Amino acid sequence: MESGKANLVEKSKKSYRVKRPSQTGFSSPATHYTEPRIDLNDALINNPSSTFYVRVIDDSFSEFQILKDDVLIIDKSLTPKQNQLAVITKEGAFEITRIDKDSKEEIQLWGVITYIIKSTL
Amino acid sequence: MIALVDCNSFYASCEQVFRPDLQNKPVVVLSNNDGCVIAANKEAKALTHIPMFEPVFKIKEVLKANNVTCFSSNYTLYADMSQRVMDTLREFSPNVEEYSIDESFVDLSHYPISQLDAIANEIKDRVHKNTGIPVGVGVAKTKSLSKMANKFAKKVAKNNGVYVVENEEKRTAMLKYFSLKDIWGIGRQHKIRVEKTGAKSAYDFTKVPLAWVRKEMTVVGERLWRELNNFPCHEMTIKVDKKKGIGTAKSFGYKLEDYGLIEEATSYYVAEVADLLRQQNSAASYLEVFLHTNSFSNTDKQYRNKIVITLDIPTNSTIKLTQEALKGLQKIYKPGYRYKKVGVQLFGLVHDTDIQTNLFYQPKKSESSKLTKVIDELNSKFGKNCVKLATVGNREKQWALIKEHRSPRFTTQWNELLTIGKSKS
Repeated sequence: MESGKANLVEKSKKSYRVKRPSQTGFSSPATHYTEPRIDLNDALINNPSSTFYVRVIDDSFSEFQILKDDVLIIDKSLTPKQNQLAVITKEGAFEITRIDKDSKEEIQLWGVITYIIKSTL
Repeated sequence: MIALVDCNSFYASCEQVFRPDLQNKPVVVLSNNDGCVIAANKEAKALTHIPMFEPVFKIKEVLKANNVTCFSSNYTLYADMSQRVMDTLREFSPNVEEYSIDESFVDLSHYPISQLDAIANEIKDRVHKNTGIPVGVGVAKTKSLSKMANKFAKKVAKNNGVYVVENEEKRTAMLKYFSLKDIWGIGRQHKIRVEKTGAKSAYDFTKVPLAWVRKEMTVVGERLWRELNNFPCHEMTIKVDKKKGIGTAKSFGYKLEDYGLIEEATSYYVAEVADLLRQQNSAASYLEVFLHTNSFSNTDKQYRNKIVITLDIPTNSTIKLTQEALKGLQKIYKPGYRYKKVGVQLFGLVHDTDIQTNLFYQPKKSESSKLTKVIDELNSKFGKNCVKLATVGNREKQWALIKEHRSPRFTTQWNELLTIGKSKS
């Protein structure tokens, strides 16, 4: 990988530029209609520099439908809103909680969970 | 105005982001090969009775007894976290100079002076929130002053990690706080000379007549004097100059006698430096290989040697450089010693389009550079050393650095992600 860039969480370098037809016979009638293929980063990652991934290793958080082997996408830059899921730290350990603004309990926020990646296989 | 944003005990902070159990606990990070402590957080620094600069094997027990958590350096993680901090800083200014892995100058000249205090506080808060890394922010008109303001921000508790030199009063207060030795970029010799004028604080230095500074401390001292007197001499530098020499040398994880393993390590390092060479479009005219035993050992027989090889024509081909390096290694290697380190240096760097060929040798440029290009692309796509010369071998584990306490590469490897769950040990 290019040094310095190697470790960046980066959006794909897609190109919207029309590609020169590659057909040897008839030029593709779709030539001026091509678009880059869907990239999950566009949908799931808003802030690459504050986004972290966390793997769930057991079913302790099944009450949130978060199960073993799921991967959480967490954006630390967000401020959680009512009922959103967040990763917090409690007594030196990571926990998952549903934000309840009415609760008196003070929480130590680590980041807001934006998506949960689950395998269905 | 320029801000200097500096991460607080950066390596230790990176580790702590992923280890809530270590919050407010002493943490140290060890050098390559776990030889000595290279970074300590505030809590670890407070344990002043521990001689942190001693080799780790001497202080291992004390560290343990004091509940200090040790990490092997995880530069992959630190580089990514650094990038996250820098990217966050770019939200405030298009003009960010990455000064080192944990410090940046940020040009804030597009904000009115009255807003700078608020902006500096927001930089501190946002970087901490988004990345988990705590930073200090010093803002001033010149780089030297912003560096000093950063130090002042951290040292004086009431500044709370932010100090903006927005007026003369604040500049004077800061300069009076620091003594000569705290000035960024003042050498020991110069310090002694300045002291002879009766100056004690940084403030006194700014009052020494310029003519004296120019005469006694040359242009470097003059620039420093001007910068501290609020006249900028150092611009923001964005483009990094090409390196004039490129090298690498790391200790082996174990002492090695076997020539084959040393040869593999050497080939590995040549591939690393040749890659950097190509990335800056340079070619090397000379190559140095050096090899030595552990000079700290009382029991080992000692030997060290190096050889400089002049290349027929400057090159950046991994193949050619490896051939030459191994020829050199063969000449300096002597059997019967337990070697600790091998290193490779490239110098006499020229731009790769100005390579002067000689009368009798026209390189078959196209072939070797095409091959190199393909190898570079494959490695860039599939990972370092996915394609390598056979001389690199595959016994890296037998010579590579020991990293017994390295944390996972949480942000760059899917199989090393941070985990959450209660069954965790």
